[in-house]
This record gives sequence, C-alpha cells and structure tokens, in this order.
Amino acid sequence: MSKSRWLIIFNLCMVFVGLLSTNTQAAEREQAKRLHDRLAGIPPSEALLSNMATLISNNRAVEAANLAIDNPAFYNITLKNWIAPWTNRDQNVFVPLNDFTATVIGLIRDDADFRSVLSADVLYVGNTGLGLPAYANNNNAHYQALEDGGFNLKTSLQATTQSAVTGVPTDATAGIITTRGAARAYFINGTNRAMLRFTLMNFLCTDLETLKDTTRSPDRIRQDVSRSPGGDSRLFLNNCIGCHSGMDPLAQAFAYYDFSYDEDNDPDALNGSLQYHANIVDGKYQINTTTFPYGFITPDNKWSNYWRQGQNQVLGWDKDLDGSGQGAKSLGQELSHSQQFASCQATKVFKAVCLRPPADAADRTEISSLVSTFSSNGYALKPVFAHAAVYCMGD
Amino acid sequence: MSLKKIGSFHLSEIIPLQWRGTPKAGGGRVQNTTPSGFACHPSNGGEFSSVQITHRWQPTLLLRLFTFFLFLPLLSACGGGGGETNRVLPSEVQATVSNYSGPAASTSDIQQFKLNVWDNLVGNDRCGKCHGSGGQTPNFVRSDDINLAYQQATPLVNLTQPTLSKMVTKVGGGHNCWLASPSACADILTTWIAAWAGGSIAGSTTVDLRAPTIFSAGTSKSFPESSTYFAQHVYPLLTQYCAGCHQANASVPQSPFFASSDVDTAYQNVLSKIDLDTPAQSRLVLRLGQEFHNCWSDCTVNAKTMSDAITAMANQIQPTPVDPKLLISKALKLTDGLVASQGGRFETHVIANYAFKTGEGSTAYDTSGVEPALNLTFSGDVQWVGGWGIRIVNGKAQGSTVASKKLHQLITATGEYSIEAWVAPGNVTQEEAVIVGYSGSAMQRNFTLGQTLYNYDFLNRSKLTNAAATPALSTDDDDEVLQATQQHVVVTYDPTHGRQIYVNGEFTGAADGAGSSLADWDDSFALVLGNEVSNNHLWQGTIRFLAIHNRALSLSQVQQNYNVGVGQKYFLLFQVSDMVQLPESYIVFEVSEFDSYSYLFNKPFFISLQAGVVPGNVALKGMRIGINGQEATVGQAYANLDTALTASNYGDKGQSISSIGTIINLQKGPQSDEFFLTFDHLGTQSSVRTAPASPIAATPVDLDPQPLIGIRHFDEINASFAALTGVSSQQASVLSTYNTVKQQLPTTENIEGFVAAQQMAITQLAIKYCAVLVDDPTLSASFFSGINLNAASASAFDNAGSAQLMSHLHNKLVGSNLTTQPSNAELTTELNTLINTLKNNAASTKTIAKASCATVLGSASSLLQ
Repeated sequence: MSKSRWLIIFNLCMVFVGLLSTNTQAAEREQAKRLHDRLAGIPPSEALLSNMATLISNNRAVEAANLAIDNPAFYNITLKNWIAPWTNRDQNVFVPLNDFTATVIGLIRDDADFRSVLSADVLYVGNTGLGLPAYANNNNAHYQALEDGGFNLKTSLQATTQSAVTGVPTDATAGIITTRGAARAYFINGTNRAMLRFTLMNFLCTDLETLKDTTRSPDRIRQDVSRSPGGDSRLFLNNCIGCHSGMDPLAQAFAYYDFSYDEDNDPDALNGSLQYHANIVDGKYQINTTTFPYGFITPDNKWSNYWRQGQNQVLGWDKDLDGSGQGAKSLGQELSHSQQFASCQATKVFKAVCLRPPADAADRTEISSLVSTFSSNGYALKPVFAHAAVYCMGD
Repeated sequence: MSLKKIGSFHLSEIIPLQWRGTPKAGGGRVQNTTPSGFACHPSNGGEFSSVQITHRWQPTLLLRLFTFFLFLPLLSACGGGGGETNRVLPSEVQATVSNYSGPAASTSDIQQFKLNVWDNLVGNDRCGKCHGSGGQTPNFVRSDDINLAYQQATPLVNLTQPTLSKMVTKVGGGHNCWLASPSACADILTTWIAAWAGGSIAGSTTVDLRAPTIFSAGTSKSFPESSTYFAQHVYPLLTQYCAGCHQANASVPQSPFFASSDVDTAYQNVLSKIDLDTPAQSRLVLRLGQEFHNCWSDCTVNAKTMSDAITAMANQIQPTPVDPKLLISKALKLTDGLVASQGGRFETHVIANYAFKTGEGSTAYDTSGVEPALNLTFSGDVQWVGGWGIRIVNGKAQGSTVASKKLHQLITATGEYSIEAWVAPGNVTQEEAVIVGYSGSAMQRNFTLGQTLYNYDFLNRSKLTNAAATPALSTDDDDEVLQATQQHVVVTYDPTHGRQIYVNGEFTGAADGAGSSLADWDDSFALVLGNEVSNNHLWQGTIRFLAIHNRALSLSQVQQNYNVGVGQKYFLLFQVSDMVQLPESYIVFEVSEFDSYSYLFNKPFFISLQAGVVPGNVALKGMRIGINGQEATVGQAYANLDTALTASNYGDKGQSISSIGTIINLQKGPQSDEFFLTFDHLGTQSSVRTAPASPIAATPVDLDPQPLIGIRHFDEINASFAALTGVSSQQASVLSTYNTVKQQLPTTENIEGFVAAQQMAITQLAIKYCAVLVDDPTLSASFFSGINLNAASASAFDNAGSAQLMSHLHNKLVGSNLTTQPSNAELTTELNTLINTLKNNAASTKTIAKASCATVLGSASSLLQ
C-alpha cells in the first residue's frame, strides 16, 4: 500500500478521533479556541489562547472575542468569504476580491453604521504605497492585485468616496449597490430587477418568494411582464403579480443605471463599467413593451414601497422614512433601516460563527439580543460578531 | 420491398439529398435555459448565438423513412396527392355560380352590389331560396333585374358600418344562417357588404356612447372577520395536505402561507384563494382539479373534497350586500357594454379569415367571404377560449384539401401573400412546431408559420427551397421576439423581397432580401393549425385570430392591423352622476375578455353624455373594480389613483383617468359577472374603510437539532495550515497546490456536507505544507528542534526521538491542554503505527517527518472548529 493511501486512511481515523473528542466538556481554553476558530478561521497561538482563556474565566468573554477579531484572518478569511457569495448571482465563494467585498470589509473594520452599506457614498480601496494598479472603473485589477499579494486587509484598506473615485455623483451613490462589483453582477443585461432581488436576499435574508403578496396594486408593473403567460392569465394573477407588484415600484429606483460591456469581445464583462445617466431612464426599462402595452411606462427613478402595506409590513419598515423616494440611495436607506435588515445581519453573523442557523427559542432570543447589540453599538457589526461567538463558544 | 427501393423509385429520388444539408456554422440553436416553459417576462441577455436562415425543420433520414412509409397508403389512396389524411373532412360550400341574364347594372354601385353581395346570396342554399324573384319580400336577390334587387337591398345595409346592417343583425340573430354558426354568417355577410361599400368605409374606431340601463350592484357573500368557519371546514385540509410547503417554516416555504400553524395567519392568506359564491371556482379547488397541483391522492376526488369543505364554509355565511360604507358606482355586466368598433383593419386582400367567435362545436369558420369557405375541423384536444380563440393542447384544426385549393389558386395568381395571426405560444421550449401550415406532410409544404424556442420560423416553398420549404427563415436568436404571451405575428412573401417576419407591429429584421416564383406549390395540400397534417409537429398555444392575405402586407398595413387588436371590446359606462353631481356622468372603461380566466379593464376616462357639462374640480382618489358585490382582491391597478376631474383636462372625448390597463379575475363568466367601481374619494364623498388588521408574523418552528461543530472551509484550511506550520500560504509550491485543490476542499462549514473527496484534497495540501516545512532548513530547525532530520530514521526516531516528534506535533499542530483535541498519548498511539511502518520500509527521516506532520495537520484536530 502506498504511503499516500496510508495517510488518507490515517487521516480519516483522526477525523473520527477528533469527533469523539469534541464530546467532552469545554472549559475556558476550549471556549477560547472555539472563539478564535470561529471568528478568525484559524487556530490561535498558545499565548493568545491563554490570554483569551484568562479573559473568559474573568467573565470578559467579549473582550476575548475581540482579541480574535483583531487577527487579520478575521478580515482576510472570515469576512472575505462571508461576503463573497453576496457579490454574484451564483452565490459562488470562489470569486475574486472586488470593490463590493472590500467596501463591506472596510465598513465593518471601521465600525461604521452598517446600514450605510446600501446608501453611503463610500468606497474602500487599497492603501497607496502597496504597488497596486489604480482603481479603474472598467476592471478589477486593483482588488485582484490586493488579493493576490496576500495583503492584510485589516491594515491595507482605506476609505474614500465613490464620487471621488468613480465619478458617480454623490446623490447617485448607494453603498455597495453602486460599486462596480455589484453592478457587474446585478445591473448587467436584464431589467435591473436583479439588483433588488439580490439585495433583498443578501441584506434582508428573504427572496421574493416569501414576499409574494397578490393584493398589492399592480399599477407599476412594467410592460415587459406578460399578463397572460402561455395564454393563461391565472399565472399572472396568482403568481407573477405577487412579486412584481411590489418589486417593480422598488426597482424603479435603479432606472438610471446600467452596466455596459462589449458583448462580442468581452462576453464575461471583465472590462465593463457601471453607467449612470441622471434623468435618463435606461433602455432596459423599456424592452418588450408590446408584451403588455397597457403596463406601466417608467418615466423616472421614483420608487415606492408598496410592501409597507399588506402582509410585508412584518418586515418592520422605518416609520420615520417616507416609503418612497428617488434613486438608489434613498431606497438603500429604506431597506437598511428596516427591522428585517437588522435581524438579517444578526442572523447571518450567527450562522457565520455558530456554523448553524438559529434553531430553537434560545437561539431566537439570542438573535433578538444580537439585534439589540447591533442597534446599541451604532449598528457596528463587530460587536455582533463578538457576542454571537460568545453565545456559541460552548459551555 | 426493398428498404432502399420502392417500386421503381430510388429513395434519393423521393427524398431530395439537399434535405440532409448540415447546419451552417454558428447555426446551432441556443437552448432555452428557463426551467419552466414560460415566464412572467422575457429572459434577457446571456445568449449570443445568432442565425436567421436555419436548416431546422429537416426530418432526419430515419424520420423521413418512417414518414414516407406511414404515408405510402395515403399516397396510393389519393392518387399521389400529398397531405390528405384519411379522416372525414368538413363538407365544403362551393362557390355559387349565378347565371344572371337580366338588364345590366345601371350604375357602378349596383355592379359592386351584384359582384359582392348578390352573387354570393342568390343561390338556393342561401337567401335566394326565399328572397328571390317572386319570393318573400324584400326580394334583394331577385334574378329578373339587378337594379330592382339593389333597390330592395339598400334599406337592409349600412355601408358606413356594415356590422349594423339589418341584413347582418337578422342573420346573426339566427335567421336562416346557412352555417351552424349565425355569428359566422353575420361576419361573412359583413365582409361582403364591406366589399360592396369599398372605400366608403373609413374604418373608424370611434363609437357613440349611449347611456346604459341603470341598476345597482347586487349582493354576494363576504368573508367574516372571524376565522371560525374557515378553521372548522377548510383549515384542517390545508394543514393536513398543504403545510409541507405553504407555511413560513416549511423547508422550502411557498407563499401564500394559508397552511400556517396560526389559523388567523392562514385565514388572512387564503382569502384570495376561496370563492364563497361559487366554491368550485376557488383557486384551492381549481389548483387540485384542473392543475393537478400536489394532490394527495386522486386529483378529482381531492378537488371535490376541497370544494365540499369550502361549500360547507360558505353555507354558514349569509349573502351580504355591497359594503354600504363604500362609495360605489352603478353596476354593469359585460353584455351591457357598448361594442367597440373592430373597424380599421386592412383586409382588402383577405382570402381566408378566422376570428374563432363560435365558441362551441368543432368547426372554426372561414369568414373571409371568399368562396369556397375554408372551414377548419378540430381533431384531438383543441379547446375554445374565452374572448374568441382556440387553444391547441394536443390536436389540430384542419381544412379540406378541396377548400384549401383556393389558397393555391389565389396566392399563386398574385405570387405573394401574408399570414397574419394573433397567437399566444404556450411555452418557449417547443421546436419546429407548426402554428399555421399549408402542407402535405413534414416533407412537402407550401408554407408554414412555426415556432422554435424563442423564434418564429417561416417556411415557404419556392424555387429557392426544397419540397419541405427549407431552409426556414427565423427571427434572430438574440432578440427572442417570440414570447409565451399574446403576440401579433405577420409573415409576408413576395417575389421582390422574399420572406419577411413582423411581430407586434414591428419588422423583426428577418428577411430574405429576394424571393422567387411559387410555381412549385402543390394544390393538393391542406391548411392546418397547431400541427403538421402528418401530426408530427405539434404546437401548443392559443390562436385568437388568423387571416391569410394574397398580397404582402406593408409595414404600415401590419401596424394598422396590430393597432386594431384582437377580440371583442366593450365600453362599460359606470354611472357616477350622484357622486360628481353632474348629469349623465360616467367613468368609462374599455373592457374585454383577456382570456378564459380574466377581463382586461383598460384606459378609463370620465365623460358626461350631456352636452355642455364640464367638471369643475372633482377629486378622484382610490378607484377599485368591484365584481359580484365585492372589490376584486387582485389586480386593483387604480387603487393608488389620485387625480382630479377638471375643465382644463376635459375635452370632447372626456378626460382620461389613467393610461394603464389591468386584468381582473373572471368569476362566473362574461354573461353573469357584474361589475361596479368603488372610490376612496370622489367629489365630496368618501368611502369609510376599516383599516385591515396588522399582519401577524409567522410563528417560528424549531428546527431539527443542528450540529454544534463545523468543518473549516477551503480558505480557513489553507490559512490554518499556514498558521500551524509557519509556511507562508504565498509560498510558490504551496500556492500552486492550493489553487489546484481549492475547489475540492470544503466550501461550507456544515460538517454534514463533508465527503471523502474533500479529505483527499486536504491530505494533498497538508502533505505539501509539511514537505515545504521539512525541506526548509530554517522552518524545520525551529519546528523540529532537537531532531536531526538528516540522520538515519532508526536513530532519529528511536524512542526518545519519536517522543520528541510527537511532542512537537502535538504542541504545534494540535494544541495542549484542550479536552476537545486528541491528547499526546492518543496521538502517539496512532502515529507510532505509521512511523514504525515507514521505518520498516526504510523511509528516510525527512519522509517520516513529512508523513507524520501531514497526518496530524490534515486530521480532524486541524479541520474541526
């Protein structure tokens, strides 16, 4: 038998041994190790482990968790891979670092109000002096080099504004929504409805399927939606309308955006760029107009949240906001100021560090507690990571 | 009989060799990627292949052989004529041959009357039997003097609006129609009268609005506030059979959550799915009985069970009048509406016309008025649809070869033609499907309008094609102009431009650029809809209108016909005089049956029928459509309306209220459904609406016990290995190995997803890290301090050396004083076996060090978290 086969068999045995060993009670050192493993993604050094264990034994577990968060691996490994699936339609983790990912990492690192992730004029780029290619509107070389170089993302990112770097007017910036990475994924081709759908999935933890409400007015459903798919209007009245009645008036916020690329010579859109034309409704909002000529014709980027009425009130919309506005920035605020946004971030963090979804009443109570932690810390996410990790560090 | 020779014919003589031509480069079709065959709106982007002239529609050799043999008996029976099947085809109405010998027409108008009306009606099988010479008055088809016949006919026709002619309404009302369908006779008569009128018909689309009969909205059953009745009768079925999906905590939750664990939540979500007035029409019932949606046993029985439960619930609810707190208009049925004119179509060269108005029976009548009538007989599963049309499910509608000859005769006479149709393809997955064909088989065609995926195909037999009329002209792949929704499609052919395809009033760009002669057309073929005459190219979808012209329509003519639309439209005038305090005031909708399941309410406007009345400043907010005593639950596109009726916006045609349309569920049918309007605010009056109860968040349900530990994912494994060994993850050989095995490593931290293949990749990566560690003098000196890796293995790993190795590996890769990790003793027990085996096989010290390192590094002690 070859050596490599011996090793594989042996490794599998060790997996079993390891599983058996995890059944034992965890004490402070074990808790400290789990904290570090879950937050940084890598084992701690012996010195750090001892330090964290001491803090835990002194009822300062959150401080212990913060020591793990201080590890660059929290940014380079945990956050980067946590965010990566949000940046593409396939929810693939094997994607390069880009401005979407870097900006979310930066906001978390700097304890920014995370609700600004969908509305702020913010962008994180690599520090000058790292020898990186300059940020470009039409490629990802800057971030690719940042990742390939193995740079410490905790110290190598610096905040700037999209308006200064990309040229998009401040009023038209909307956090990650207007990053090149998000645009390439969700403004490309199509009708821009994808940007809304994936923003809901990634930041409100809900797909459209669970938001279907056929009782909302269909007055803003565009002409490209068939009212009689396959010659059967029941499909529209019982299915399509449930999503489109709420989705279309919200996605109208993106009416001035597109992602342009050379379809023939650059089919993967590697060199495409975000396009914004103020007061000009993009042509993609007026495709297939004869599908239902009596449908809504998009005149501008005014959005309305029809889900403030009906069953989707349960998402907890901010009563201090109007529920309507113009453009992506105010829509981003509408979404991120909902209770569902806060709950979603708490739940995502819980899953990231507990390695499982909330499963029972105790877990749900913890989610509520994490939401409180989120809001009481100015909507910074690192404390949520720390508290969630402590909850799951074991007894 | 030889497989290759049939009688004296060699196979290649029968099947032209060019049929086997291979597709052009780049001609591969982009397959549909939509899981379901249709979608609410078109897919967009992502497909880049394009070709217009395609070599599809070519039967394979095997299929051709099969088809040939299949048709061999028919060929014999028909004396070599292709296409005629062995089923009974409809009897034909032959053109009437008149032998008029009276005085000549004294004017050109009388001559037009003779040619277009008199000649068509004089026969004994039509009006001539009774209204001829010496017959019943009026003698409008008398044979003795055409001028006198003209005098008799004139009072019976309306040359400006032929549909209003007394002759038409009389026959349409059932007076001695020579067909089974009075409406078909009326349409044919209308065509003849219109032809007589010639250019005097302007094709006006206006209609004179007249006040309808006024009546108030009726009563119907409404849902009570309490869910008691629902909980008693229907809810048990839902929780028993639907809770697997229709509740928030289902593994894949499907809205609406009418099977929620909370009955009130379920009740709120089920309202639009229950019809209290006609329980059998409830969505909950139809979903089971007609759509076979997750029946729990027999769908018919299950639908009955559900219907009975809803009936029991409905029986406990007393009918209630329209909510008196609502501000409502007067009520109307569709049949109370004014028929909107269908004029304005360009039909000068129509030679076959199908409006599919009959709605029953198995014949679709050709109402072109061009003899002989090319009526179509249904075979297989062909259904009538509401608002005029037929749905091809698994069948076809076919004319006789005899009557179809007129197509050959009239089209080859001009050398050009157009096929115009309103269709709703049932899906975008069908290929080489015949929508309209004039053919003998899949191998012999005169023309075919077909569908392949998102494309319309047009095949025309000419000097430029083979007998199967291939290659087809198709719309561009990238454009995806064919959608599974109602569309107006026109294909034209003329010798100058060849084939052209128009969709929804626009030229698609699909064109030959040049045409040829139709001299090779075969007059023995049959017109067929929905399939090939040989039944092997089924098309599924709805055809709402079909016209065949023997001229190529111009773009403007195509647009003219597209703009007229399809189906019967009505103007419904909802009286609102009391509310706006203006006489004869109405809110008018253009309403039509959209399909079998809904009504289209379109372009509402306000008007007063009394001359001189102009609105002041009348507020209008929140308009909704009511049906059968209740506001429709779904489709209220005017609920957010907030406007005012003002003199400045009011003109001769009233004031437009909205430019959009909406569809409302059909409930009892166009003869019975009663409509009205409600308003949140109109004029000085308002509805009093009770705010709906706040929705209740779904009660969470505990999940199955979840694992409390997980496995590191790919990036964590790589980083952990680097951290534990001290080898940089950027080291060239490590990086290379990592990039190679990266996607084989775990992608999620869920330990239940861990598989052996991932362990293979982990092992490879661990070996590489340890190899680099051991081979790097600096790193290895630090990591394996005290061990001489250059010594012989027997001495380096004697008892003391082995213990030292174990200590290093345990402290640096596993971690000490951790009850969740293997102890040094456990590690020693396992590793000693490996080390001894390797030593016995004369492995070097470095090899043993690498193997031991990799064993521990790639084990659960590093992987679990």
